[in-house]
Amino acid sequence: MSTLTFDATPLPIRDDITAALPQVWARIGRPGTWLTARERVAVAAESRNARFCALCAERAEALSPYAVHGEHDSLGELPDEKVEIVHKMMTDPGRIAGHWYEALKDGGLPETEYVEIVGVVACTVGVDTFCRGIGMPPPPLPETQDGEPSGEAVGEANLNRDLAFAPTLDPFVDGPLQKEFFPGGPPSAAHIRRALSSVPDSQRQFWQMATVLYMDGMQMRDFSTEYRAITHAQIELVAGRVSAINQCVY
Amino acid sequence: MALLRASGKHTGDDYDLSAVLGESGEDSGIPHADALIRLAETAIGYDDAATAAAREAAVERMGESALVDAVAIAANFNAIDRVADAIGIPLEEEKAAISADFREELGIDDFGRASLPAAAE
Repeated sequence: MSTLTFDATPLPIRDDITAALPQVWARIGRPGTWLTARERVAVAAESRNARFCALCAERAEALSPYAVHGEHDSLGELPDEKVEIVHKMMTDPGRIAGHWYEALKDGGLPETEYVEIVGVVACTVGVDTFCRGIGMPPPPLPETQDGEPSGEAVGEANLNRDLAFAPTLDPFVDGPLQKEFFPGGPPSAAHIRRALSSVPDSQRQFWQMATVLYMDGMQMRDFSTEYRAITHAQIELVAGRVSAINQCVY
Repeated sequence: MALLRASGKHTGDDYDLSAVLGESGEDSGIPHADALIRLAETAIGYDDAATAAAREAAVERMGESALVDAVAIAANFNAIDRVADAIGIPLEEEKAAISADFREELGIDDFGRASLPAAAE
């Protein structure tokens, strides 16, 4: 049972959205691959809290955010390094740098947990932004369910460590996850499609949301057909404006 | 933005890409660009009154289904931008090549980490 429902909105929300987003939201409350359900919900809660953080506000104004030190204003449910990840992603994502990621790793943070946190933050942002945008309050936090993280490791042989800060699934390895995530082979493995792939369940959860909010890869490039109530040009205008505000080139 | 330009090529329109940088969008060549830009800006902020006004304007000019889809796009990119930057995903070489001209012209290469190899250190 999800705490997210669109029953009360008078707007014509597409069926694929009303089906997918409540599932994605409820999934945050279940044990993940490397994080417990309680940790995952704490990440979602901290995502919402980050905009009230004085340290993040100071860093956002600084020429270099890495020169400003201090303590985050957090909810107290996560250790400092995980609060740092969540707040950075929420308040200054465009200036995330490789040395920052490496410092977190050197401090003992497993890269697997990092990737899962990124996925939970992203799903929280997607759900909350959609709800606020259509005039709904963001949903109550998901209910946490008992159980242990699955610990589903993809195996070092499946990873590419040269593409990004964090490891990604190597599309050139012939494996079942590659077939699932990149069914068209390596040419279909756009870099963003690889981003969360080292934690398969995070990959599945995020793309379940992203595909209904945006379009699938084929629809994205098929300019001869409009798949949404706004045109491709209007879609890419909105996408471009949001990405410019977020200072994201990709 | 590469897809925005590509969609214009398909329809024979020459869109003004600078609309994504905060101009009103009125001269961009994209129908209802000003309303969409306002909606995008407010949807990812936390000003409920401004979002409500942008939503009302969008519905009046484009209808409810268009509003929902525009908000969905804003939500998606508010999330996916963070994934790209947090994982450190670089632009693909071919995408970097076809976007180099307008990235330089519009100052996009000066964005934060900028998803470019040289900025990833």
